[in-house]
Amino acid sequence: MALIFGWPLLRYAWLSGHADSVLTGLVPVANGGANWLRLLSDQRFWVDALQTARFGVVSVGIELILAMAIALLLDQRWRGRGAVRALTLMPWALPTTMMALGWRWIFNTPYGPIEQLAGSLGAGPLNLLSAPSLTWLVTVLADVWKTTPFIALILLAGLQTIPDDLYGAFRLEGGTSVQALRRITLPLLTPYILLSLLFRLAQAFGVFDLIQVLTGGGPAGSTESLALYAYLNAMRFLDFGYSATVMLGGFVLLMALIGLGALILRLSGLIRPLQT
Amino acid sequence: MRRHSAWIVLLLIWSLAPMLWQLLTSFTTSAALVDGSIPFLQRWTLNHYRELLSSNPPFWRYLANSSMLAAMSTVLTTLLAIPAAYALTKIPKQWRQPVRFVVIAAALFPYVLLFLALLELARQFHLGNSLLALALPYSALQMPLALLLLTAAIEGLPVDLDDAARLEGLSLRQRLRWVMLPLIAPATASTAILVFLFAWNEYPIALTWLSRSDLLTLPVAMARIAGSSIYSVPYGAYAAATVLGAIPLLVLVLLFQRQIVRGLTNGAIKG
Repeated sequence: MALIFGWPLLRYAWLSGHADSVLTGLVPVANGGANWLRLLSDQRFWVDALQTARFGVVSVGIELILAMAIALLLDQRWRGRGAVRALTLMPWALPTTMMALGWRWIFNTPYGPIEQLAGSLGAGPLNLLSAPSLTWLVTVLADVWKTTPFIALILLAGLQTIPDDLYGAFRLEGGTSVQALRRITLPLLTPYILLSLLFRLAQAFGVFDLIQVLTGGGPAGSTESLALYAYLNAMRFLDFGYSATVMLGGFVLLMALIGLGALILRLSGLIRPLQT
Repeated sequence: MRRHSAWIVLLLIWSLAPMLWQLLTSFTTSAALVDGSIPFLQRWTLNHYRELLSSNPPFWRYLANSSMLAAMSTVLTTLLAIPAAYALTKIPKQWRQPVRFVVIAAALFPYVLLFLALLELARQFHLGNSLLALALPYSALQMPLALLLLTAAIEGLPVDLDDAARLEGLSLRQRLRWVMLPLIAPATASTAILVFLFAWNEYPIALTWLSRSDLLTLPVAMARIAGSSIYSVPYGAYAAATVLGAIPLLVLVLLFQRQIVRGLTNGAIKG
């Protein structure tokens, strides 16, 4: 484990201080901090970082809300619940690359069902996969579709640890179900919400499969993520030194983002239930 | 029940509609896909499936590759993780918290970022283009999750049990095999199925380690169809591939949904 997780980070740190590309005959040559200086002034890196953050925050936000609704639904007792739970798991279990191309067909202009529907409603071609302002939303949708079941399951596990008596007592006191949600469910669920938030944000930050297959980073780089940029640097531009720098830079940004998130949570007092 | 049924139907449509659309597409002729005016009865075909199974290499090859790789990764991970998890429950108390923290951090780490260094390792040790070798990084990447699930299970067992078995004169290996293993079987099953799904779906590392077309795993083979041309993806054949590739997973999820759910939720609660 130390080898698989620790070694790459050390190796990147070392590589990021070297020029290692076709120009040097793929032999690492120390170039001081040139890679890092380049990173700081590399507009594409910062644009990708913002796009990755946008993708992560928006999709994880939507996923949390949807997953909460699904978890509440699956927490009720009704017949066939097990089967429905299994079926909702399917999107999560399928390979990302597989459905990514499926989405490309569904959002295809002009033959996909979405465009056909829009066309029959009189809304002209939407060009969902070639309009930079829309395409990133398609990637968000595909991600939400795939990973919501995962969060829903974690939240469901949390819901099932809350004793029913608590709700019964609350209702006897005259509380409504909306109040119960806010005063009992959400506070007790906070650890689960934070856990899935952390896990999903880290995953979304490394988004690669989905983007590479669904859009290839396009149109005009509008959906390119940091992981894809690092991949392109290594595999297409054959610039391994800079690719390592991009990955380390991205990792540092992720840490900063998580730190910032934790700080905001602490300041807003949301994290307090965890400590008691 | 009635109060929820509308929501349940909505949930099912949301989860299944994209897949059902692929199913429909896979039986539609290529001409009908781009021409809505073709009469209903002339729109259907099995050609996409025929093409897929007679192409070179045939599609079942990728299924076989993925199955083999996933099975090997699963076996390797569980074989290594069970003794390691047992050891983790025996380390001194003051070390337990830091070690757990490291394991959780590793489990959360977006592993995509590791692909470049792993690729270098593969080149260094000539591990590229080998399914057997690919099982090594897969096991390592899934080790944190496996350890979390299995240590949680072992810690849930009464401590006296292990001590009693030791007093009976059982060796470490015997205790693991005859006392621990049967008791943590459910957790092991959960771990195994999660590792299997990971290995089946993994993309970036397989993409960079494998280049021979008869060795590709399912996700890489699928993505290759997409990458071949941006403008003329053979959507019909592709949809058929999706359907064939999804069937094993469908069976797996329906058979093992209890283990999957338990694995995911135990990881959440005790991790």
